[in-house]
Amino acid sequence: MKKRKGPKTYLLVIPIFAVILSVVIFPLIWAIFISFHEWNPTVSPERKFVGIGNFIHAFTDPRFLDSLKRMLYYSGFGVILQVFLGMAVALTLVNYIKSDKLRGALLILYLVPMMMAPVVVGQIWVLLVTGTGTINNMLVSLGLSPVAWRGKDLALTTVMVTDIWQWTSLPLLVIYAGRISIPQNLYEAAYLDGASDWMIFRRITLPYLMIPLAMAFLLRFMDSYKYLDKVFIMTYGGPGTASELPVFYTFLVGFSYYKVGYAAALGWIIGLAAVFFMLLFWKIIRRRAIEGG
Amino acid sequence: MNTTRRKTFGMGKMLALVGLVIYTAFIAFPIYWTINSSFKDINHVYTVPPSFVPPKPTLSAYRWILGGSGKNALAGSLIVALVTTTIAVILGIFASYAFSRYPKGKLSDSFNFFFLLTIRIFPPIAFLLPIFWLWKLLGLIDTYPALIMTYLAFNIPLVVWILRSFIDEVPRSLEEASYLDGFSFLQTLRRTTVPLIGTGIAVAFALCWVFIWNEFIIAYLLSGRHVLLYTAFLPSLRRGMRVMWNQISAISVLAAIPCIIILIVFRKHLTRMYLK
Repeated sequence: MKKRKGPKTYLLVIPIFAVILSVVIFPLIWAIFISFHEWNPTVSPERKFVGIGNFIHAFTDPRFLDSLKRMLYYSGFGVILQVFLGMAVALTLVNYIKSDKLRGALLILYLVPMMMAPVVVGQIWVLLVTGTGTINNMLVSLGLSPVAWRGKDLALTTVMVTDIWQWTSLPLLVIYAGRISIPQNLYEAAYLDGASDWMIFRRITLPYLMIPLAMAFLLRFMDSYKYLDKVFIMTYGGPGTASELPVFYTFLVGFSYYKVGYAAALGWIIGLAAVFFMLLFWKIIRRRAIEGG
Repeated sequence: MNTTRRKTFGMGKMLALVGLVIYTAFIAFPIYWTINSSFKDINHVYTVPPSFVPPKPTLSAYRWILGGSGKNALAGSLIVALVTTTIAVILGIFASYAFSRYPKGKLSDSFNFFFLLTIRIFPPIAFLLPIFWLWKLLGLIDTYPALIMTYLAFNIPLVVWILRSFIDEVPRSLEEASYLDGFSFLQTLRRTTVPLIGTGIAVAFALCWVFIWNEFIIAYLLSGRHVLLYTAFLPSLRRGMRVMWNQISAISVLAAIPCIIILIVFRKHLTRMYLK
């Protein structure tokens, strides 16, 4: 039986491997080749070999280095906020909302932003925060002065708040599921022992939630550095370079300035850095979980 | 002792519930505001103070969207998403069957590696830069084949991953019985396996469809005049002196409706999928 089905099983996966190899893996490898060249396809089809020049240039390019700093704020701080906010809401739902129907309805409402296209979300938020947008009009009607939400100082934060609006529900969901899988009798025993709410949180809830919290952070972090939709639609990296994140800068280099070789190098640098940090993060979490548990 | 504990408990509960109300308002307000603006006349969008209910509700924004290129953009996205998802699910059934039934783990391990690489870690822009120039060299920018192939490659791993967990639960003995009855592999797959993973197919189809429907950067780079996708069309609505926010709101509402229906229908499975 096994023998008869053996060759067939291979045939079954050929189509998807063919698609993924030709559209994903091959271009990615071709990108390594391009990254060693200087190439502006709009000027001439000829590529000039520059060795690792593009990679060296990346680490001395102030615009790229600045965009990395912004990413630390946007993806690091922003995602930590999402995880904490998600945890607070999830625990409130579990602890204080007793009606299953209300809880279910609230969860659905919270998931709505997640199901919308990031560009649509970005557009909606521009309507709220633009110069004569809804929020400023409210401020003016209250006798306050309007705020430049997409100005130099606030642009990146505004995009970050939009991201928080759309994606806090993901950590919320992960932590909610983690919380309801903690055995209830642990809590009952703790209450009988007269433990305070804070003690219960510290000693029962938090240790059990370490893995879900780490998972939620990782999932959100990886999405937040990867996508440029919101920056594209809300600020286009501006004003100036005030909200330029690494992937958006790569996009500009590749598709606006047509330095294709340099953009390929940037794409690979970001990708490899991401692989490295993800593995590192995962190792630390695993070790801590083993030590703690 | 007991009373103080109850008191702090009450305070904590109050704070938590106030926080929950604020969070709920924070989530609900932009959604409400989009629906509200989509029924406004353009003159009522910028008023001070903003009007929480359209002063003169009108469908003109929807009429404009459904009468012009907005309609083509939504239709283009619908076609690309439907065709790609259908192909992805069919190929995904075969592949996930193979991964689930193939005796050695090697095949699925290497696939998982590609899955991690493509979907989770590398930023899409790292792939799209070379992909764009390859499609350009082949003269396939702004055509259905290029868009569908690209979306297929990026979404098949998701489909396989969802379907596999469902196929794993189908007992092999059922298939073996079917073989003994003289049915061929394809007949067995169609008559025995596929009916048993109906839910899985529906979930994979719905999620894959939503991802393609909502995707932006591939749409922006690979679509154009002949194939118009709504996510790429959306930014163009903001050009010009006077931004037609009611039209932007209307297309946003229209684009979100199918996703919200999918959310409500598949809410239990969505939770499970996101958690894995």
